[in-house]
Amino acid sequence: MTNLSPFDIQARPNRLLAQALSCLLFVVCIGLYMHTSVARHRDNPEDRVVPSGHQLVAGIRSAVLEPAEEDDYIPADNASTWERLRHSMIWKDTASSGGRFFISLALLIPFVVLAVHIGLFPWFGAGFLRFFLFFDKIVALSLLPILFIAFGIDQWSKIALIVIGVAPTMILDVTQMVKAVPQEQIVKAFTLDANNFDVAYRVVFRQVLPQVINSLRLNLKPMMLFLFAGEMIAASDGLAYRIAIMRRHMGMDVILPYVLWVALLLFLIDFSLRMINRRLHPWFQA
Amino acid sequence: MVSGVSTPEMTAGLRLLDKQAARATADAEVRAAKSISVEDVSVSYALGRAARRSVLENISLEIEEGEFVVLLGETGCGKSTLLRMLLGQERPTAGQISVAGSRVERVDARSGYVPQRYSLFPDRTVLDNLMMGPLTSKFHILGRLRPSYWEARRAVKAEAFRQLAHMGLQASDAGKYPYQLSGGMQQRVAIAQALMMKNRVLLMDEAFSALDPSTRASLQRLLRTVWSETRPTVVFVTHNTAEALFLGTRVIVLARETKEDACGSRVTLDMKLAEGGMTLRSHGQKFLELVEHIEAVSSGEKRTAPDACGEESARVGPVRVFPEDGVTP
Repeated sequence: MTNLSPFDIQARPNRLLAQALSCLLFVVCIGLYMHTSVARHRDNPEDRVVPSGHQLVAGIRSAVLEPAEEDDYIPADNASTWERLRHSMIWKDTASSGGRFFISLALLIPFVVLAVHIGLFPWFGAGFLRFFLFFDKIVALSLLPILFIAFGIDQWSKIALIVIGVAPTMILDVTQMVKAVPQEQIVKAFTLDANNFDVAYRVVFRQVLPQVINSLRLNLKPMMLFLFAGEMIAASDGLAYRIAIMRRHMGMDVILPYVLWVALLLFLIDFSLRMINRRLHPWFQA
Repeated sequence: MVSGVSTPEMTAGLRLLDKQAARATADAEVRAAKSISVEDVSVSYALGRAARRSVLENISLEIEEGEFVVLLGETGCGKSTLLRMLLGQERPTAGQISVAGSRVERVDARSGYVPQRYSLFPDRTVLDNLMMGPLTSKFHILGRLRPSYWEARRAVKAEAFRQLAHMGLQASDAGKYPYQLSGGMQQRVAIAQALMMKNRVLLMDEAFSALDPSTRASLQRLLRTVWSETRPTVVFVTHNTAEALFLGTRVIVLARETKEDACGSRVTLDMKLAEGGMTLRSHGQKFLELVEHIEAVSSGEKRTAPDACGEESARVGPVRVFPEDGVTP
């Protein structure tokens, strides 16, 4: 076997080496963090900028098992872990942000349906496409003050921000997917006695659905970004609100677990969508 | 209203109505016998503000029920455009087209269609692809709640398996997705899918062009068998002359008169063939001569119609019958 350099395009690491390489950067990051933390704590044992392992555990414990400062709830001494978890700070914030996130996700569905119509029906295309092409160029965050005025500072302004921020891009994306469905398929469907409804939903929508799910996966981060922007500016609960509050107290022991928790949540949603896609559309994996 | 009273005027009126009804029925029968009718069809596209590019020029064709017509011509001569108009996917700039006795306004289930690529729905298994057509006409949001739907579905499923076997595919292929099939198998399923609809007209656009020679030959034989069994009217577009002579009972060549011709393509050769299909093995030298002749006409080297592209040449008509042994006028 020829020995190829690791920088050769044709060189392939074996399975074990590939697994090890994929973990390498995680280990390096953890190592660097620990090294910095130890060095800072040597100078100042009370340092809160790069919390030590003990401080992080304490921060996670307080976030997961203790209520938020602004809450009136005081757990009984004999309260179970589940009871404490249900009233914890992280649970409350996750439920608030998650609610806003999933309502926005649900509100995107009609826009996906509209996009299918824009891509398929020339009259819809003529009516809507140029409007959304223009609307897509509006920076959603610049609308935030207007949304606060229109919807108030409760959750609907944040939901509106997410939908306004993501919907035009998704509409244009899905429209392109629909236009990319081969014309032969549409003609064939009509020759098989399909009507407009059949062609739209039983032929075209079915074919683009896995791509729509993939588009949604790519939009998860922008959605969370808009949610965080809204929550950081004006909110009384939510993951981003907590991070913003903790920043004032230099509470890195809570901020860091929150950041990792949000990343984990997004990873899990993305993973679930990927699994759903693989399960429902085996033909798309080919 | 006066009932039971018969006046000479009324009797004469009724006779007139009977005559009109009889004439309408006779017209409908004539139209139906002429499975496809293309009347003075021209197609041109706008090129910029003033200029237009003519693709087809005054095409007139009558295709009888049960004919196997092969449209031949070089790339860009408009044969696929003509097929798309027969489907209803495109509208002619002038003239009109009728299929199965009525004018073609849009794509509908009058004709079956087998394209060169994307002939199957990738998100459906072979069985679902086959069943889609017959079940679509029975589809209703709440249709699945009715026992009649399930009865119909069982019958359609049995027919789908029968068609699958007829096309030389295994029952185990029914659960496969199109990406799991070879190109030849996909086209077999596509033909079966069109046949499931029991259309009297089948339109095929270079359906075998993307296949390797041996698969192509076996599909040609299969198509001939299917056609001779049920005798649908087939319009088959190809640029392969040997394929045209093997499959068709009639070969129509579309071409421009000269390479520099600004006019669109016209029918430069319209030839009926014997039903058995011509091959090099069965017809030898005559087959080769015919191929040579058709290709010369197709490329514009030989002319069979007047030069000018005015109305007169269209009216004269470019029909020419090749009077060879085994080729019947």
